[in-house]
Amino acid sequence: MPRNEAVQDLNLDEYKYDFVDSEKHVFRTKPGLSEEVVRQISGHKDEPEWMLDLRLKALEIYESKPMPTWGGDLSKLEETLKEIYFYVRPQDQMERSWDDVPADIKETFEKLGIPEAEQKVLAGVGAQYESEMVYHSLKKEWDDKGVIFDSIEDGLKNHPEIFRKYFGTVIPTADNKFSAMNSAVWSGGSFVYIPPGVELETPLQAYFRVNQERMGQFERTLIIAGEGSRAHYIEGCTAPVYSTESFHSGVIEIVVEKNAHFRYTTIQNWSNNMYNLVTQRALVNEGATMEWLDGNLGSKLTMKYPSCYLIGEGAHGNILSIAYAGDGQHQDTGGKVVHAAPNTTSSIVSKSISKGTGRSSYRGLLQVHEGARNARSNVECDALLIDENARTDTYPYIEINEKSAHIGHEATVSKIGDEQLFYLMSRGMDEEEAMALIVRGFIEPIAKLLPLEYAVELNRLIELEMEGSVG
Amino acid sequence: MSEGIVTGERGLVELDRAEVAARAERDPEWLRERRLHAADVYQRTPMPTTRLEEWRYTDLRDKLDLEALEPGRPAEVADDPAAWPAGLRAAMDDDREASAHIVLIDGAVVHTDLDPALAAKGVVVESLARAVHDDDMWEDSREYLATQAVSPERGKFAALNAALFLDGVFVRVPRGVHVDLPIRVTRWVSTPGVAHLDRVLVLASEASQVTVVDEVLSDDLASHTFVSNVAEVIARDGAQVHFVQVQRLGRNAFNHTEHRTLVHRDATSDSLHVSLGATTSRLDLNTQMIGPGSRAELLGLYFGDGDQHFDHNTSQDHVAPNAFSDLLFKGALDERARAVFRGIIRVHPKAQQTDAYQTNRNLLLSEDAAANTLPNLEIEADDVKCSHGATVGQLDEDSLFYLMSRGIPEARAERLVVLGFLGEVLSRLSLGGVIEKVTREIERKLENH
Repeated sequence: MPRNEAVQDLNLDEYKYDFVDSEKHVFRTKPGLSEEVVRQISGHKDEPEWMLDLRLKALEIYESKPMPTWGGDLSKLEETLKEIYFYVRPQDQMERSWDDVPADIKETFEKLGIPEAEQKVLAGVGAQYESEMVYHSLKKEWDDKGVIFDSIEDGLKNHPEIFRKYFGTVIPTADNKFSAMNSAVWSGGSFVYIPPGVELETPLQAYFRVNQERMGQFERTLIIAGEGSRAHYIEGCTAPVYSTESFHSGVIEIVVEKNAHFRYTTIQNWSNNMYNLVTQRALVNEGATMEWLDGNLGSKLTMKYPSCYLIGEGAHGNILSIAYAGDGQHQDTGGKVVHAAPNTTSSIVSKSISKGTGRSSYRGLLQVHEGARNARSNVECDALLIDENARTDTYPYIEINEKSAHIGHEATVSKIGDEQLFYLMSRGMDEEEAMALIVRGFIEPIAKLLPLEYAVELNRLIELEMEGSVG
Repeated sequence: MSEGIVTGERGLVELDRAEVAARAERDPEWLRERRLHAADVYQRTPMPTTRLEEWRYTDLRDKLDLEALEPGRPAEVADDPAAWPAGLRAAMDDDREASAHIVLIDGAVVHTDLDPALAAKGVVVESLARAVHDDDMWEDSREYLATQAVSPERGKFAALNAALFLDGVFVRVPRGVHVDLPIRVTRWVSTPGVAHLDRVLVLASEASQVTVVDEVLSDDLASHTFVSNVAEVIARDGAQVHFVQVQRLGRNAFNHTEHRTLVHRDATSDSLHVSLGATTSRLDLNTQMIGPGSRAELLGLYFGDGDQHFDHNTSQDHVAPNAFSDLLFKGALDERARAVFRGIIRVHPKAQQTDAYQTNRNLLLSEDAAANTLPNLEIEADDVKCSHGATVGQLDEDSLFYLMSRGIPEARAERLVVLGFLGEVLSRLSLGGVIEKVTREIERKLENH
């Protein structure tokens, strides 16, 4: 087969998480968003009055803000949202043991390999199904050291003082239209507290699954990494493929205290009918490091720009973003770094692959405030195009108000080089292997930062997607 | 063109159709129609705000007061250098090597000369206001004025210019003719408090070659003054066009330049825009690679001090395959100056084998200076080589240290490093007179540093 046709036939889009459980739930709200829905969600969670007030205020803010006209195409979202279930309660209570999780839900997570991974490589696991966390567990040794890893609802119930001190401070309700929406209807997500000095050797993982058709998932995560602590948190997301659209809008707030080191990894593999509009931000204090590892493979449209606000002297922010956009997908991703203190450093590396009619856009903000002396930042964006109909964009915003700043941005766009392919094929590889090897090499800088099992999984995914691509 | 005032009590906020028509009463019918159409577009186009991506960092509410401005009238100045302002004469004295000169004062042409040998070959360098009445001279050129390159629909300022431009420059080079020495355009502004609107149309026929050096300048102005210039450049198949613009307006000037080049098959367009003067200066620069094999180089240089605000908005449109474009904009900012660079490379779906590059580098020389840079890419073809880069930083300490270790005083060493930084741009376009003029102006600015 001529090479161009071979490229056309590359099937990167096969979606292996497309299985559906029968729809079972103990409660769900009527479709659409209203004050009644917000009150029902709050009622189901038996919340304190201040949280209901916060939700209702957030609803007002959401309604007052216009739909964004930048980024991806949101022109049909308003209609879609009228049909969306904003809250679906799958079971009555969250479990601490997989044995107690209803069999069909448990089976879902088994297919996704979660309980197995928990045994082998994780310090703790949270699993969200529709709107609620159905399972949460932390290994005893970390529990003993005072680590808190719980559902966000239990965080509010059991640790109200820490919760109220930080909730909504990193990402205020009015930050953007979707942070306001999330603040009104949030449900599920994790509450994490790492005590000062505690270093978690293995990652915590939260897994998000949407099963219901026309479902909206609005998890809210609040993480406090205490002074000098060290931890890694991984989130994964999947959903079955429906002909109707689903919606996911999370808010992730992280406080990284002095000299702490926190890494947040997302492997987002939503089905291609999902709008994924997420706000993620970390406040990074003196000498601390925040790392975002953001992998966006799924969804119809993702708009997500993990941010680091470097507010303490010597703070460091690191954003690694990898996006894959196949047919009909638009990945509008990137990162934001605000340097608001002296001697802060940051790095953003973005890698994207566009195939078929896919479009990947890098959108990033780099801001250096006056007085943030000797701030240093470097941004690198590489885009790979595997099809003549694919599209890639780069939209960096660089705003520098400090003379001593040292800022660089670079981006390149290329297609898989004929020379690279030819070289590998002259060494006896077939085209399919050669193509997969080049793509793997392209994402290598990101894959190598994942725990081994996840790196293997990511590579396997790429291989699977390259399979049968050359006839 | 008549001298009628076009506006009512609110300056240029609204244009009266009848008055635009009256002002254009001596224009040929087709041009009057075009002006009226532009006036309609102006009326229905809202003033750009910072909500628009392209105006995100330039808030016109603080910088341009349309209510206080009325369109300029032709200056009554003789075609005699003795009658010209000293600053204009000085600028002209530096321009010895030229194949033609054309001088505008307050938007109207007061002097034209052209090498007779070139005139004999059919080269035209003429006042636009005169050229539009001359059917022989104008031939098939009228279809290009305020249409394909900079139509009124491009935006509020393009529409205003098309409706009200007083005069301008028309350059036409016939097929195969090479104009070896530059055509020097000098646009002097003397009357404060008004809007001076002029435009340039360059038609380079097949396989022709031409260089235009356009300088706009003034002394410091007593009050808020608006200078609007539109440049339309058509490089037909195989033509080579070099276009240099040096902006040295005085303080209180708000300068807007919209420059668009259409580059046809195997044609080359090189441009250099130098921003040194004015209080606010905005450049909308677009180069369209509409023919296969076309090539373009887009250079820019700026030095801001005081409260100067520069906004350079550039785009490289690759419409045809096999084209090359490379942009380099470098600037230094002192005191409270601010520079915005927003550049975009657009590779359209059919533009395979595109080679396109874009670089913006900024040097901050003071604590209060600021730079915003937005180098964008939109790529809709896969067989392309594209890259962009942007940097913001302070003077290179190593270079400074090296020079100082050789006994050069710090202040002098700083100046040398800045000149070296900016010199990279000038070195890519060797044009007698321009480099010296620009370097001298930057050195003058650096003396205050």
